[in-house]
Amino acid sequence: MGARMSSEMPGFGLATVLAVGIQILGAAFLYLILKAEGGWQVIGLLALLAAGFYLIEKRPQITEYVTASFSRVPVVALVTAVIVVVLFPFAVGNNTYVLHLLIVAQLYAVLALALNFQLGSANIPNFATGASYGIGAYVSALLAINFGLSFWLTLPAAAIAATLFGFLIGIPSMRTRDTYLALVTIAFGVVVQQLLNNFDWTGGPNGLVGIPAPSLFGHSFADPLVVFGWKLPSQANFYYLSALLVVVAIITAHRLHSSRIGLAWNALRADEIAARAQGINVAWFKVLAFAVDAFLAAFAGTIYAFYVSYISPDNFTFLVSVTIMTMVIVGGMDNIFGVIVGAFLLTILPEKLRAFSDYRLLFFGIVIIGFLMIRPQGLFPQRIRSYGESR
Amino acid sequence: MAELFVQQLVNWITLGCIYALLAIGFSLIFGVLNVIHFSHGDVAMTSPFIALAAAQALAIAIGVSSPVWLIVAVCIAVFAVGLIGVILDKVVIRRFRDAPAMMALVATVALGIVIRELIRHLYPQGSNPHAFPRLVSGVAFEVAGVQVGWFTVLVILLTLSLVALLFAFLRLTPLGLRIRAASEDRIVARMMGIRDTRVFRATFFVASAIGAIAGLLFASYAGVTRFDFGVMAGLLGFSAAVIGGLGSMPGAILGGLIIAGIEVLAQTFVPDGASYRLVFVFLLVIGVLLFRPEGLLGRPVMVKV
Repeated sequence: MGARMSSEMPGFGLATVLAVGIQILGAAFLYLILKAEGGWQVIGLLALLAAGFYLIEKRPQITEYVTASFSRVPVVALVTAVIVVVLFPFAVGNNTYVLHLLIVAQLYAVLALALNFQLGSANIPNFATGASYGIGAYVSALLAINFGLSFWLTLPAAAIAATLFGFLIGIPSMRTRDTYLALVTIAFGVVVQQLLNNFDWTGGPNGLVGIPAPSLFGHSFADPLVVFGWKLPSQANFYYLSALLVVVAIITAHRLHSSRIGLAWNALRADEIAARAQGINVAWFKVLAFAVDAFLAAFAGTIYAFYVSYISPDNFTFLVSVTIMTMVIVGGMDNIFGVIVGAFLLTILPEKLRAFSDYRLLFFGIVIIGFLMIRPQGLFPQRIRSYGESR
Repeated sequence: MAELFVQQLVNWITLGCIYALLAIGFSLIFGVLNVIHFSHGDVAMTSPFIALAAAQALAIAIGVSSPVWLIVAVCIAVFAVGLIGVILDKVVIRRFRDAPAMMALVATVALGIVIRELIRHLYPQGSNPHAFPRLVSGVAFEVAGVQVGWFTVLVILLTLSLVALLFAFLRLTPLGLRIRAASEDRIVARMMGIRDTRVFRATFFVASAIGAIAGLLFASYAGVTRFDFGVMAGLLGFSAAVIGGLGSMPGAILGGLIIAGIEVLAQTFVPDGASYRLVFVFLLVIGVLLFRPEGLLGRPVMVKV
């Protein structure tokens, strides 16, 4: 073990350079693709990305080496990440469209991480994440509009409501499996979406309008953010808020993954009967996966509702759930970093394909099919659990 | 009251037959490939567009407008959609037969998007709804003051004969025997010298052609066709197949009748039921699967260690 480590582990200096450099490179790439306009720029950047993934595919040791350097200097990597995330809006400046894309991408990253508990960790299909997301958004919006509750109070309320819904979907999951379970979750998703579309008190197909902007310590999120004389557009407020949520989701995912719960989910994925024989309460852990998914999705829904201040049932259709599912599969199941990359890629890609105007959905579909055929294990496949050493 | 009852009975049977035909396709494909072909509804709903295009092309080419062209166009559409199914299987779906079930599901949902967008772009003014003629018109007979059209008779007769033909095909022909063998166990079937690519091809042709007929009947029943009809057609057909029990032909028919039944019941007896019909349909789906996790006529899955 010691010999292997020394031959493959990068030195401290190199690890620092790599951990900092790769993150800055990644941020620069994200910046370029967000700013890119016109078909050729987008195609060029995507080609670059494809080349990068091809390189990783051919030389898996690169990924290993990079991961090793990140875990060699965890503090440096973490500080760089925080600085990059905090400074990104300053680089973007007044481009509200780019900020908007980033916020949506972060919310989808949270949704994808939420779904990852089920699809990735436990291999339970769930096509109702969009519904949990919608329930979170609607509960918080209704509380804010009708009872004047502040954003910070609606957040837990929405999470509780969605978690109850998660338990409700979880109940049939004890008996059904695979395709049948997939249909049950699809059915729940359609029922919720149709109810939102038909009830009077949810505004029907017109949705809810005029959700008040949240405020913190007297600073309204609708106002521009002024930091040390720098003036950032009001979207920056929500950018930092959703970034915070992504961090919460990552920590939750990481903690759960290393806990006995994550282990139990992985055992379920490997072999349900074997897991049962080991004394794992299969039904409980399945239901728990649904509840955790709904809980996190509701947070994302709440922020979304307050951010756009207008929600309608169209935001929470079956296709939204499928998109979230695609993000998890494309990114790499049970790989936190991969799932986030998948969410960013699949949020930004359709927007950038607007250069192809009417054909973008067609392109999107073809890209997804092609991707699933070429690299079914996802961009960053799940890693084998390492036991013993803490890092 | 009796009038209303008979009228709704007619609606139920018409819709039930169409859903059953869609569900049969899902069930057949699942039985052989173990893959949910989620875009089957979209494939089926290409048929009205192909038929319309073919009818126009024929009318222009020959110069005389005649109802005969519609019949010819319909036959062309059914055959063409069968071929589309075969091509999709070869290019995309077959590659997912050994993949995790969810991956195939997501891939075929994406495939559905591609098919819908292709219709929208390739067909002139594809974004707009297009009127689709009744395949046959006129009143066949009257029951309790309700006029039953030839269209309903056509739907029932067509469904019955298609089901009978399918059963005969699966039970009596060598190819049908191979399909059944492959759906029983693909690997053992291969060991017995059954070429599975041929089985897939035949299955997709039959399933897609039956779906095409369902699509034509659906467009004809609604009087209109839209590029995005396939989403609901697919979702309802899939639900019918699943609550009937995937892989079971009688189950698919039963599922189709049940789904259509709850839809018609909701529209008739529940105030504002038309807008809530999907809620009732999918609550029923959840209910059925809660008590019969393998569907009504599905074989219980025994898992051995």
